[in-house]
Amino acid sequence: MGRHSDFAPSVMPHLDAAFNLARWLTRNDHDAEDVVQEAFVRAYRFFDSLKDSDARPWLLAIVRNTAYTWLRKNRPADVVPLDDTSLIPEDMPTLGHSAPSDSNPEVVLLQSANRKLVNQALEDLPVPFREVLVMRELEDMSYKEIAAVAEIPIGTVMSRLSRGRELLRQALELRLRRAS
Amino acid sequence: MTPGPRPEPGDFEIARDATYYRASDALRERIDASLDEEGRARRRPMLRRGLALAAAFVAVGVMSWNLALLQASPSRDEMFAREVLAAHVRSLMSPGRQYDVESSDQHTVKPWFAGKLDFTPPVRDLAADGYPLAGGRLDYVDGRTVAELTYRRRLHAVSLFVWPESRDPDSAAKSRTLNGYSLATWRKGGVRFWAVTDAAPAELSRFVELLEAG
Repeated sequence: MGRHSDFAPSVMPHLDAAFNLARWLTRNDHDAEDVVQEAFVRAYRFFDSLKDSDARPWLLAIVRNTAYTWLRKNRPADVVPLDDTSLIPEDMPTLGHSAPSDSNPEVVLLQSANRKLVNQALEDLPVPFREVLVMRELEDMSYKEIAAVAEIPIGTVMSRLSRGRELLRQALELRLRRAS
Repeated sequence: MTPGPRPEPGDFEIARDATYYRASDALRERIDASLDEEGRARRRPMLRRGLALAAAFVAVGVMSWNLALLQASPSRDEMFAREVLAAHVRSLMSPGRQYDVESSDQHTVKPWFAGKLDFTPPVRDLAADGYPLAGGRLDYVDGRTVAELTYRRRLHAVSLFVWPESRDPDSAAKSRTLNGYSLATWRKGGVRFWAVTDAAPAELSRFVELLEAG
């Protein structure tokens, strides 16, 4: 079975990345675990198709496909196709410059509240924006890798990232205004 | 003492503020276990050792079966067992051909067969009992077109072949194994059922019980 002995060393290191993407797509632990398990079985079966390319985007593409199949079955409203022509590239200011971290208790509290808000707002974003943001910001993947995994052109990756960040900023502002 | 800068609305950074979810040890173990199982399945000579090879095996199996038929004339059940097993393996071997209609909804799968068969197969979803319906397709067994319903049992597929046999009375399920697969057959309400899976025989018995009870 030759190459299948290489499966664990080359693919298992990306289990966290697989789970993180599945968790952000399904939005709960239980379903994410089912998706990841199924994706790993598929990955194992199609391990020959990995060849010499990088295992992480290859695995994440399988995870994403498996998650989409799951979403189509269980949350069809989440996977309505996105009309990218409506994504007019806007000249957006760079968002998310980091605040210096501070041990001031008030700031610590605000930062943990921030974390909750950001998580919620990101979960509420439509899947096409959510997935590119997760791959870019949390996985630190290149535009090219994201384009391959999400099966969209690089230009679309960039416009979805930009639009996704803007939608996230608006959602956070709304939440903060409501909270105060 | 000057207060530190307060985080402002819009002052966020996904990489810092959004959670990076990590896989649990339980998931890691589950995956290890299912890959072990896959590895075993892979080592079974007929399964997934290369589609052409497997297809050749099935073809040779059916052919030598036909030759054997001339000499020994085994029971009809034996013949059906081999035919439905071949059909089950065939459906697993071709990823795009596993289903002609892929749906977990019995109200989608059942109407799909209308007009394609001279009978209406009973289609039930057993998701609540751990055997979700996955889809349906047509196959060819004993010189006639039959309905094949595919159910899932965890990572295994259970194929249920259905065709009418109206002359015969109901008969209780008989089960057996063949080449490492579990098979069961029964007749109910003028319909012949054959179920085939690579899951454990106990998993198949449960499946048959559920269908017989319905």
